Amino acid sequence: MIELRHVTKRYGAKEALRDVSLTAPDGCVLGLLGVNGAGKTTALNLMTGYFPPDGGQVLVDGRDMQEDPRGCKRAIGYLPEVPPLYDEMTVREFLAFVARLREVKARGIPAHIRDIAGLCGLEEVFHRPLGKLSKGFRQRVGFASALCGDPPTLIFDEPTVGLDPRQVVEIRELIRTLGKTHSVIFSSHMLSEVQQLCSQVVILHRGRVVKQAALGELSGGGELLLRLEAAGPAARLVPALKGLPCVRRLRVTQGSRPDLTGCVLTCDAAPDPARGDAQTQIFRLLCALDMPLRLLAPEGDSLEEVFLRLTRGEEEGETP
Amino acid sequence: MTAIWRRELQAYFHTAVGYVAMGVFLALSSVFFFLEILQQRSSDLLTFISLMSYLWMLLCPILTMRLLAEERQKHTDQLLLTSPVSLVSLVVGKYLAAVTVLAATVLLTGVYYLVVAVYGAVYPGELLTGLTGFFLQGCAFAAVDLLVSGMSRSAVSAAVAALGVNFALWMMDLLADTVPVWLGSVLSFLSLYSRNEPFLMGQFSFASVLYDLSVAVLALACAVYVLDRRRRA
Repeated sequence: MIELRHVTKRYGAKEALRDVSLTAPDGCVLGLLGVNGAGKTTALNLMTGYFPPDGGQVLVDGRDMQEDPRGCKRAIGYLPEVPPLYDEMTVREFLAFVARLREVKARGIPAHIRDIAGLCGLEEVFHRPLGKLSKGFRQRVGFASALCGDPPTLIFDEPTVGLDPRQVVEIRELIRTLGKTHSVIFSSHMLSEVQQLCSQVVILHRGRVVKQAALGELSGGGELLLRLEAAGPAARLVPALKGLPCVRRLRVTQGSRPDLTGCVLTCDAAPDPARGDAQTQIFRLLCALDMPLRLLAPEGDSLEEVFLRLTRGEEEGETP
Repeated sequence: MTAIWRRELQAYFHTAVGYVAMGVFLALSSVFFFLEILQQRSSDLLTFISLMSYLWMLLCPILTMRLLAEERQKHTDQLLLTSPVSLVSLVVGKYLAAVTVLAATVLLTGVYYLVVAVYGAVYPGELLTGLTGFFLQGCAFAAVDLLVSGMSRSAVSAAVAALGVNFALWMMDLLADTVPVWLGSVLSFLSLYSRNEPFLMGQFSFASVLYDLSVAVLALACAVYVLDRRRRA
């Protein structure tokens, strides 16, 4: 677990972080959201011990980064926004160097870096110089170097910036895979990315934490907005939907075709242990009613609304 | 520290830096060898070593210029400073890599002594004493130039600044004769070249050994301090 306690960081006269407290619990994928200049990179650099805070504490598994930097750094793998690579080295040489830096036993290094290269899809470029790799592969080498030494926590700073769409999808898939076995913290200003990958979200704005919450909680306070279109009369569909325990509110809208009934449903985001989530309950109901389903999709982007509201400064005083 | 030392040593010979530094040194020292030994039909190796010692001014900036400055310029310091490695290990590891290349260069000059041994007389004790002073002087220059690299923003500016500092150290020695006596004694006391004189007369001087090592340790400590200050800035 990584914890920032009342952390302050200044660059000259500019205060990059002001009394920031946040917690990254074990076993979660935490997204650090914020506009450019919000303090995301500074927060990550503090967590990794790249530089010390001017005030407050950085704790890694309860150990203070200032008092036990080596112990804390052993527990963290870091990929900065631009992967720090030595262009004259091959992928193999570079990963072996990072493994040695991270105190992997000499005998175990060849197998260790082979495993990591396999996980990050680097086998085909294993013996190529880093200076000759594409941006996507360089990013993958950065991920691989963060994995050297098997740190339980991985920190990535804007890991998909500057990549083409195919590479973005690949890197997100890699983060998803890593998130199953590691605690992951990553910064992004892309809401869709955070929604896809994170279980926890911290929103930073002007150097302060304006919100820390579970993703579901943040995306509309436990509510889920769904747009539905089904073939059949509204008079039959609407009362049946209102009868579902997961549906809180319902608004009838025009269907995309005359024979379709449309509506926007506000449902419980948390799934019912017995009946399943809202989508499952609605789907079963329509099957029972024999009304063919044409559309069932999340409506709008409530995280985006929350983010915009918080970063406009309306809730600047709010703390997690 | 071993990981850093090994990487830097690899980097010297994966790039042209190591070859250029050693090549330039050997090319210029062979000119000195020709002029001082072959042309003069002399076997005075201590004078030859004293001439070679001026080449440290050129070789050390080439070897140290990128060691710290380039890490900062290319942001690879993020990898090093977020790894479980102390700043002391980082600086010492890099320094030892430069010193290893210096030692290899000194070993390569052995060819000159072999040539003299074939055609003339070589006094091993005198030669070893001269080489010890020569090597220690190089170690002191390398530490000072590493500190300059730590204070620079790019490898090129580090090289230029280190050349300037080395030149100033040399000038300090020359100025000692032209300034008031008390100032001259201070400058001579601090000069890396004056301190090497006992070795070049075949005398092993513990005071000079201690001085060269003190300069190196002080410069490395300052480099650690500079890096730490920059982290906190």
